[in-house]
Amino acid sequence: MNKTFEHTEGYTRITQWMQSRGNTPFGFQENTWKKYTHGYSGMVIAPTGFGKTFSIFLAVLIDFMNQPEQHKNGLKLLWITPLRSLAKDLARAMQEAIDEIGLDWIVEVRNGDTDAKMKQRQSRSMPDVLLVTPESLHLLLAQKGRATFFKNLTCIAVDEWHELLGTKRGVMVELALAYLKSQYNQLRVWGITATIGNLDQAIDVLLPTEKKRAKIVAREKKRIEIIPVYPDEVEVLPWAGHLGSKLADKVAPIILASKSTIVFTNTRNQSEMWYQLLLEAHPDFAGQLALHHSSIAGPIRQWIEDALSEGKLKAVVSTSSLDLGVDFKPVDTVIQIGSSKGVARFMQRAGRSGHSPFEVSKIYFVPTHSLELIEVSALKEAVKTQTIEAREPMVLTFDVLVQFLVTIALGGGFKPEDMLPIIKSTFAFSEINEEEWQWCIVFITQGGSIGRNYEDFHKVAQQKDGLMVVEKRRIAMLHRMNIGVIVSEAMMRVKFISGGYVGMVEEYFISKLKKGDKFVLSGRILEMVTVKEMTVQVRSASGRAITPSWLGGRLPLSSNLSHFLRQKLALSTHPGTTEKELRFLHPLVARQNEHSHIPSTDEFLVEYIQTREGYHLFMYPFEGRLVHEVMSALIAYRISCLFPISFSMAMNDYGFELFSDSEIKLTEAELKDILSRDNLMQDVVSSINSTEMAKRKFRDIAVISGMVIQNMYGKQQNNKSLQSSSGIIFQVLEEHDPHNLLLRQAYTEVFNQQLEEQRLVAVFDRIHQSRIIFKFATGFTPLSFPIKVDSLRQSLSSEDLAARIAKLQERTLYKGKSEKEKRK
Amino acid sequence: MKLSEHLISFAGQDLLLTNQRAVYWPQEHALVLSDLHLGKAAHFRKNGIPLPTTVSEQDLFRLQNLVLHYTPQQVIIVGDLMHAGANTEVALLRDLTTQFPNTRFILIKGNHDRHSLQQLQGWGIFAFFDELQLSPIRFSHHPRHNGHPTISGHIHPGIRIQMPHKRYARLPCYVVTKDQLILPAFSLFTGLDTRSISDNAVYYAIYGDRVFEVSP
Repeated sequence: MNKTFEHTEGYTRITQWMQSRGNTPFGFQENTWKKYTHGYSGMVIAPTGFGKTFSIFLAVLIDFMNQPEQHKNGLKLLWITPLRSLAKDLARAMQEAIDEIGLDWIVEVRNGDTDAKMKQRQSRSMPDVLLVTPESLHLLLAQKGRATFFKNLTCIAVDEWHELLGTKRGVMVELALAYLKSQYNQLRVWGITATIGNLDQAIDVLLPTEKKRAKIVAREKKRIEIIPVYPDEVEVLPWAGHLGSKLADKVAPIILASKSTIVFTNTRNQSEMWYQLLLEAHPDFAGQLALHHSSIAGPIRQWIEDALSEGKLKAVVSTSSLDLGVDFKPVDTVIQIGSSKGVARFMQRAGRSGHSPFEVSKIYFVPTHSLELIEVSALKEAVKTQTIEAREPMVLTFDVLVQFLVTIALGGGFKPEDMLPIIKSTFAFSEINEEEWQWCIVFITQGGSIGRNYEDFHKVAQQKDGLMVVEKRRIAMLHRMNIGVIVSEAMMRVKFISGGYVGMVEEYFISKLKKGDKFVLSGRILEMVTVKEMTVQVRSASGRAITPSWLGGRLPLSSNLSHFLRQKLALSTHPGTTEKELRFLHPLVARQNEHSHIPSTDEFLVEYIQTREGYHLFMYPFEGRLVHEVMSALIAYRISCLFPISFSMAMNDYGFELFSDSEIKLTEAELKDILSRDNLMQDVVSSINSTEMAKRKFRDIAVISGMVIQNMYGKQQNNKSLQSSSGIIFQVLEEHDPHNLLLRQAYTEVFNQQLEEQRLVAVFDRIHQSRIIFKFATGFTPLSFPIKVDSLRQSLSSEDLAARIAKLQERTLYKGKSEKEKRK
Repeated sequence: MKLSEHLISFAGQDLLLTNQRAVYWPQEHALVLSDLHLGKAAHFRKNGIPLPTTVSEQDLFRLQNLVLHYTPQQVIIVGDLMHAGANTEVALLRDLTTQFPNTRFILIKGNHDRHSLQQLQGWGIFAFFDELQLSPIRFSHHPRHNGHPTISGHIHPGIRIQMPHKRYARLPCYVVTKDQLILPAFSLFTGLDTRSISDNAVYYAIYGDRVFEVSP
C-alpha cells in the first residue's frame, strides 16, 4: 500500500461516519482493521458494549472501500451467530450503518425464521452480507447451489465464539469452516469472544490452520459493581428457598429505584415462583413485570424483548434465556437470585446492565439462604483476578461428523480421499484414525458392518467415479429436516381451550397430572382439561397450583467458583476479616466452629452426626451438586465394600450426606481409605449405573447421527411410521455391535461431561493433600442443615416441609443451648 | 428364554399372562399375541436409518421359543403382523411357520396389515379375519367397548412406575377390565403409550423375568 492506513479512503470514511455519531474508534478496533487489511485472520476479545462486532464488520467495509476491484458481486461477508434474535437486530444495525456510510450493500438474515420465498430469492441471488446460525449454514452447504453461493466470499465472522466453543454447535462451525476454506483459500476468518479461561486454545480451535493469526485484546475493561442484598437477620441454621418471600420485600424497592431491571433466576421453576413473589410484594407491578424463559411461547418472549428495549417494562424475571441477546438500553440494574454457579455467567449477566462502554454494570446478589453470601465475596475475588472458567472444546463427536458427511453428500457430493484431510484439519477431528474414518463411511453408505444385517439400507451411495452422493429425495428431505444438534425433550404445547398458546411443558410433568389439576406456567394459573396428542388444553384458574419442575436447568458449579468459595469460607473465621458479607455471617460461622469446624483451604471436613432419626455422614467438597451426586454414590459404594450397609443420599452445592438407620462405624484409617484417589474411576464405574447414563446420552447422539427422527409436533404425521426409541436401538447395539462408534461416544460423554473425570481426579488429589478433619456431633450443624432440608424436600409438601424444618431448627438450637448451659 | 407366567381369570377363562408379551389360553391350546410389526427395521433402512435386522430376528426367535414351549394348536396374532409393505425381513416369517406345520397361524387384521390372503398364505398364515370369535372371547385388533369380552392390541400399552431413588421406568403391560384385555406389543422395537391410563383397569407390568400387578 502506498499510503499509510490512516490515509486510506476506507479508514477516512469510516472514522468520519463514527464522528458524525459522536464516537471515535477504540485502539483495539483500529488494530483489527489494520490486521484485516494485511490479510490476517484472528480473534477479537473485548468486553460487552465496546463495539466488538463493529470492529470486524467495519474492517470488511474498509477493505472493500480501499480495494473494490478485489471484491465481486454476491456474498462477501458471512456472519455466524448462535442466536436468531441477535441476528435480526445485528442485521438492522449493519444495514443502517451501511446506508449512512453510503455503500449499496445489502444485509440479510437466513435462519429458521426466514420465510421460504426469501430463502428462494437468496439462493438465486445472495446479498452482500448474510447472517446465519450454524444450522442454517449447514443447510446452505446441503444445497447444490453451494458451488455458487460462496464463490466471492472474502470473510467469515464467528460471533460469540465463547458460547459455541465447548458445544456440538461449535463442532458444526469447525467443520463448515474447514470445508469452506478448502474450497476458497483466500478466506479470512475472524472470531469474537468474551474473556474465558482458555483464550489461546479458543483461537487454536477456531483457526487451526491459519498462518497469519492475530489476537486482539481490548485494553478497556468493564467496571462491575457487586451489591449483596442482606436478609434482616442471619439464620444460624440456613436452608434454601424460604428466604425468597422475605427478600422479595427488599428486591421490590431496588426495582422501583431503577429504570429497568432484569431479575435472573437459575431455573424456570424459580422464575415462575419469583414472578409471583414480586407481584405479591408489590401488586402495582402488574402490567410492568414480565416473565421470560424458554418454555414460554415465542411470540410472547419476542414481545417482552421488544418492550424491554423500548423501556416499557419495569422488570423482567428470567432464566438464562436472557443471558445472550441484544443490548437492552434501558436496563440499568441486574439482580441475580441465588448462586450464578459460575464466574463467567455472573459477569455476563452483570454486563446486561449499564451496557454502554463508560457506564458501570450494577448487579445485586440475593442469597436464597444465608450461606450463599459467601459467594458474593468469592465472586468479587474472582472478578478482581479475572479468574474465569475455560470452555473445553469437544472432540471426536462422531454423531456430528456423520451428519456433516451426509450434508456434504447432499449438496453435490464428496470424495472420501479429498474429505479426510479437510476433516483432520479441524481441532475436533485432528486425532481421528483410519479405522474410525472408515467406520463413518460405512455407516453412511451401508448402515453398519454386521454382515447382511443391513440389507435395504440406503442413504449415501458411491457413484462410479467415486463421488459420494444422496440419490433419493425422501432421504434428502429427512436429512434436511434433521440438520442440527439441538435435541429437544419431549415437550408438549400448552394451549387454552379457547385458543391462544401459553407455552411448553415437558411431557413427563403432564403425565403425572389428572384432569382438573392446576399448575403454573407463564405466570398464570392453569387447570388441565384434556390432552390431545402433543397438546395440553387448559383453562384459566385460580387457587393453589403446582409449579412444574423442568428437567433441565441443573447448572454445574464451576470449579473456579468452588475454589473461591472454599477460600472465602476459610477466611470467614479470621477475626480481622473486613469483608462485610463474611462479617454478617459471624453467628453462623461461630456456631459451625463451636459444634464442628470451618475447614481452611488445606483441610477437608467430614461430620458424623447422630440424631433421633439415625446416623448421618456429611462431607464438604464444595464442588457443586452434580459432582456431589457422583461422589456420594462413590463413597456409599466404598463404605458398603467395608461392611454391609445401605444409604439414602442428599446433596447441595457445598456437600453431601449419607444417611443410614444403622451406625456408620468408620475409623480414621478407613475414612482415609474411602477418600483415596487410588482406583478412583473403577470405583466410580462400579458405584453408578454407567449403562443407564450412557443410554441417556445416546438419546441425543441417536438423533444427531440420523438414527432417530426427532418428534416434532406438526411434522409428526408425515413420519409416524419412522418413529422409534433410542433406548431400544441402544440395547440392540450393546448386544450386537459393541464397537459402534456412536455407542462408544455415549460412554465417553458420560465420563467427560457427566462424571467430569478430570475434575473428580483433581478433587481427590486435593483431598489427598489435605488434612482430614473428622468431627462428631449430636445435632445438625449450619453446614449440614441445608443438605438435610433438601433431602426432606423430596418427600414433603411445602407446608409440611416448613413445619418440619421449624421443628428441626428448634430441637437443634434448644439442644445446643442446653449443652452450653451444662458446660457452664 | 426365561419364561414366567401370571394366572388371571378373564371372561370365566383361565389365561396365563407371560413375561414374553404373549398370553397362553390352555383351554383352547392357543398362544395369543399382537403387534409384531415385522419389517419395521427394514422400512427404516430404506429411508436411510441404519437399524440392523437383528431386531426382527430377535422377535421371531422369541416367538419360536414360545411355540416350542407351549406347542399350541393355534397362534392368534391380534393384528399388525407387518409394519409397512413386504421386504426381506418378512421372509423370515416363512422360516418360522414352516417349522411348525401342525400349528395354525391366524391373523386378525390390524391397521398396518395391508396384504392379501394369498400373500399371507405364502408366508404360512392359515387364516385372515377382521374379527374372530372363540367363545366366550372375541379377538379384534382395535379395542371395543360393548360389553363383550374382547382381547385386542393396537395400543402398545405401557405404564410408568416409580423406582427407588426418584427414578421412573416405563414398562410394557397388560391392561385388564371386566370385558377388555389389551395386549402389550410383542415386538421389542415399539414405543409405549403410557398416557391412556384409566382408573378401573388392572395393570400387569412386565419387568425382566416377572409379571406383576401394578396400581396406577
